[in-house]
Amino acid sequence: MSDPNQKPDLEESINVTETHGRIARQIAAAARENKLGENGNHPIAPWFIFILVLVGLAAGAVLNNSGKLFAYDHTFREGYVRAPEPGGGDDKLPPVPLVKALSAKGSKIYSAKCNGCHGADARGDGANYPSLSGSTWVTGHTERFAMIILNGLHGPTSTGKVYSAAGMPAQGGGMTPEDLAGILTFLRNDKGNSVGDVVTPEMAKAAMDISAKRAKAGQQTDADELKAEHDKDLPGEKADANTLVDPATLLPAAAK
Amino acid sequence: MSQDTTNTPDKDAILRASIDRSLRHPVMFFFTSAAAWLAVSILLGLISSIKIHSPGFLSCAGWLTYGRVFPSHINTLIYGWGAQAAFGTIIWLMSRLSRQQCRAAGLILTAGHVWNFTVLCGTVGILAGFGTGMPWMEFPAFAWPVLFITYTAICVWSLVQFKVRPEGHTYVSQWYVLAAMVWFPWVFLTANVILHCMPGHPVMAAGVNAWYRSALLLLFFVPVGTGAAYYLIPKVTGRPVMSYTLAKIGFWSLAIIAPWAGMQKLAGAPLPYFLPYLGAAATILCAIPSFANAFNLISTAARSGETVVHSPTLRFTLGGLIGLATFGVACVILNLNSTLPLSQFTLSGYGFDLLGIYGFFSMVMFGAIYFIVPRITRREWLSRRLIKWHFLFSSYGLAIVVLVALFGGLMQGVGQEEFRSNWQFVAERAFPYAIFMTFAWIGILLSNIWFFLHLTLMWLRLGRRSSHPTLLLDGHHGSPHGPEGDIDNAGPGHASAAH
Repeated sequence: MSDPNQKPDLEESINVTETHGRIARQIAAAARENKLGENGNHPIAPWFIFILVLVGLAAGAVLNNSGKLFAYDHTFREGYVRAPEPGGGDDKLPPVPLVKALSAKGSKIYSAKCNGCHGADARGDGANYPSLSGSTWVTGHTERFAMIILNGLHGPTSTGKVYSAAGMPAQGGGMTPEDLAGILTFLRNDKGNSVGDVVTPEMAKAAMDISAKRAKAGQQTDADELKAEHDKDLPGEKADANTLVDPATLLPAAAK
Repeated sequence: MSQDTTNTPDKDAILRASIDRSLRHPVMFFFTSAAAWLAVSILLGLISSIKIHSPGFLSCAGWLTYGRVFPSHINTLIYGWGAQAAFGTIIWLMSRLSRQQCRAAGLILTAGHVWNFTVLCGTVGILAGFGTGMPWMEFPAFAWPVLFITYTAICVWSLVQFKVRPEGHTYVSQWYVLAAMVWFPWVFLTANVILHCMPGHPVMAAGVNAWYRSALLLLFFVPVGTGAAYYLIPKVTGRPVMSYTLAKIGFWSLAIIAPWAGMQKLAGAPLPYFLPYLGAAATILCAIPSFANAFNLISTAARSGETVVHSPTLRFTLGGLIGLATFGVACVILNLNSTLPLSQFTLSGYGFDLLGIYGFFSMVMFGAIYFIVPRITRREWLSRRLIKWHFLFSSYGLAIVVLVALFGGLMQGVGQEEFRSNWQFVAERAFPYAIFMTFAWIGILLSNIWFFLHLTLMWLRLGRRSSHPTLLLDGHHGSPHGPEGDIDNAGPGHASAAH
């Protein structure tokens, strides 16, 4: 009660001093604010306007590059994706020996078409599917091997054993000469076989022609037919297995 | 601002104080939660930065993979920190400039809580693997309608306040704040409705997304920051804006140019090819409003050199304006014909975004927070040293992050153009920059944790009870306003003690 501010003001219903004190405290922070100034009209410096013009010029240069405005049918700007430099040639894959290039193709076809029965190691299962590893029909004459792949096989195999009554279905559907050359080359040089030669796409093409002219076209071949008609190599020029070729086109390429 | 509505300085001060009091809870809520989200965002940014140079870091946690941490970093920066800092500033500025008390503080506060909760759910959603994969819109689809409704509940009152303001002059800040309040729903609603409700061709969706990023930056964050800077600098220095003409050029050029920008991100994509180049040209032209406003305001402040040195508000705001001028330069150099291919798929786009969001907008927001909070809490900042550290670590750290991202990004782009070399070579070019960036993020993180704690203490009303502004003077004696006094001993009579 010693504080004079706490004494009631008997003349009025509120304590004027206290109220005034409270208001004063509340506005203390606001009171030290400056008034927001009037708007200035300082002139704009010429060098600053010059900078703005430069910005406008840069934007104009980019816009000039945008082709025809609102041309919705022009989708690509020529040269935005840079073409390889002329003579650079580094975008081509490095050349590999022909046997490797063909085997790479054959390996893919093997895993798609042959893996299921003959197994990843090509050794069959000994009961239903014969081994391709060391088989004389695989490593022997190329025309015989090509006929088996293109037309399938029933009856006895190279060892004389009959694996199943249905035999092997034809695999030639959808194959290109390159594919056939690939699978033939791959199996003759991989999975335990190492003949060392290649079957070129031209030879494979000849195999397809021969297959189309068979007397029993469309049916599986068998041991008798193979022995009578196809016990020979495919016609065509033999190629050196180590010729360097482009892996995509299989055309001869110079070494780097 | 109109001065004819109040007769005496005393009445004027009482009106301002009552406006401040009416907004105390929502504004402090927005600022404090924004600062908390900023710390979270920077922590996430730090983790993603470490993962650029050390991919094995935290690889045991599936939810912390780069593809989740980086989007959470950006989205918490935008919707957690940026939007909420903007809301706090918008509602306070509009009330003060329109001289109206806030009559919906409870509703705004409730909407603010819903906004925060949605951002939290969205961030958890991204980390849990439910992100949408659209940059800046990664929150799962449930988030955007909620965000839109809460935005309306928060900002519509400021529109009402503007409508019922006393007749008279409309101040520059009001143009910008009002424009931002109208542009945000336009941009936000357009992009979200097109991408979430009307999925069309994916390439066009990428285009809409790129436009959204650019428009949110140029039509929301930039105007709010500019409006706040146009308020703070004349207010603290007590000088009028240097050139009203330049302010008008800045506003109208932004309003006309900015909506065209954004598509340059898609140069080379199967879009009609004038679109990306139109976007690039518009982005270059955005340097005009940036330069005009930065030049205008820096010149205004430069005439009060000593105040700039001592006032935390001015220091941060000026830092932001230098950021704005740099942003203008980046607008030009990243979009020229020669640099466009280099800047598309590299760190430089991230550097550009950060320059706008943090280098300009956030720095001005820090300035605004240092100005507004003492007024609404009636307490002064506790530690000038914390403010100094906040400024130093933020500005230096950010300068490093932005320069490294812009320059390192362009170097990365040069590497990508060497399309015959392998990708590892390109990635290695960015490696030293990434390490530098991590160190800078650590500094920024520390400074913002201090800032958040400082702000929280202010919210708890533990600030200094003084009517003297917190000035960044060396030592504790040199205050030009005499010895520090208790707030109860100071009053409106001390109006000469200018901030």
